[in-house]
Amino acid sequence: MAITMDGVELGVSISELAATKIKYFAAKDGMTENIGVRVAVKGGGCSGLTYDLQITDKQMDSDKVVEQHGVKVMVDKKSYIYLVGTELEFSDGLNGKGFIFQNPNAKKSCGCGTSFSV
Amino acid sequence: MALQRSAMPTVYSTPEEEYRALTTAAGLHNASYMGRLKATGNDGLDLLNRLSTNKVIDLTSGQGAPTILTTDRGRILDLIGVVNVDDDLLLITSPGAQQQVIDFLDKYTIMEELTVEDITEKSTMFSVLGPDSKAAVESAAGTTLGDLPTYYSVTVEIGGHEVLIVHRPFGDLPSYDLLMGTDAATSVWEHLAASGITPVGEEAFEAARLNYSVPEYGREISEAYNPLEAGLIGSIDFAKGCYIGQEVIARLDTYQKIQKHLVRLEFSADATVSEGAVLTNAGQEVGKITSVTNIPTGLGLVGMAYIRKASALPGKVLDLEEPASGQAEITALPQLFGPGQE
Repeated sequence: MAITMDGVELGVSISELAATKIKYFAAKDGMTENIGVRVAVKGGGCSGLTYDLQITDKQMDSDKVVEQHGVKVMVDKKSYIYLVGTELEFSDGLNGKGFIFQNPNAKKSCGCGTSFSV
Repeated sequence: MALQRSAMPTVYSTPEEEYRALTTAAGLHNASYMGRLKATGNDGLDLLNRLSTNKVIDLTSGQGAPTILTTDRGRILDLIGVVNVDDDLLLITSPGAQQQVIDFLDKYTIMEELTVEDITEKSTMFSVLGPDSKAAVESAAGTTLGDLPTYYSVTVEIGGHEVLIVHRPFGDLPSYDLLMGTDAATSVWEHLAASGITPVGEEAFEAARLNYSVPEYGREISEAYNPLEAGLIGSIDFAKGCYIGQEVIARLDTYQKIQKHLVRLEFSADATVSEGAVLTNAGQEVGKITSVTNIPTGLGLVGMAYIRKASALPGKVLDLEEPASGQAEITALPQLFGPGQE
């Protein structure tokens, strides 16, 4: 099932900086081509749902896939419902937290931002 | 919702005899009204560890632990026992809470491999409670239970039937749950009773529950309260990381922000009191009775209530507001799995 707005299918996007960081970590794992990141949602965290990130080159048939800045962002169909419209960003300031999910579906988030509820 | 003990006889012999057995020897109680779920799949412990207050992720077969399912506001959904039995999970829930627990787990099962089945009707559960309960179970089973820590389990044979024994204390009262298939229930019950364990009905059991201050689902355990108020801090792991409600519970603990506490009450000889009665201190309402019953051996009435923190002190005497009358003394702030317990 695809979720659309004004006829355009919504997916999960990745910022240029986040893509650069994914490629950096992939290279450290010896992955140089077909670089992808699996973004998923799991039960848990303070608010009920929490994010899960895995660098991988393995794609499943039912995945929603967006390729941006040289990185495939893969989302399984169950997580897609919670993540549609989300942008994966990266914060590297002094108080940076690493990867950040800008998720328009999150009605509440916990203090550290890694858990949310919809 | 109050406890569903519909199938249980009120009294087998006399309340006095049954209560004495529970508190000085061992009593046999049909606890089949407790909920029992079987969770299968590789991700059960991982999911429960992410969703509940205690650290359960490392439980291997034979091990178990109590844990609390809480809302994202840190309120209690249920206190459950998680027992790893040959890498399937037995979840012991409060009576009538099975569907709520199933729905909660189902809501947060996204990619996990987990199936949860309600096996309450397919199984029978007895509890052997009392200071001599371990010896009584060992005698009936003809084997030693060894050092069986809280919520750990072992399978034995009783009356020719396979029985899973779970060490699940009843407040400060030692207690062992015996789980079996329904077809074995009558035979195992008769074997246990014949070995000298006194059958105990609802009346004496309720008296022991309140004497040992064991909170009950629908009365002291509900979404109206958080685990710290309910004295369940022993089922919380503050170091294991996030779970639903963790942020709220950690803050309440760190800043000592709880507003009320569950207390054990004894009453003046002239007291007239029932559930819901209002307790006051210097004319100000400080709480309401959640449970009250008569102890058959002459101790009188005992009860439980949530009392505002400033008044929740052992030794504090509170007044009962009309239509109740008399006084109630706070005798303890019970901690169900607190320090010093097995």
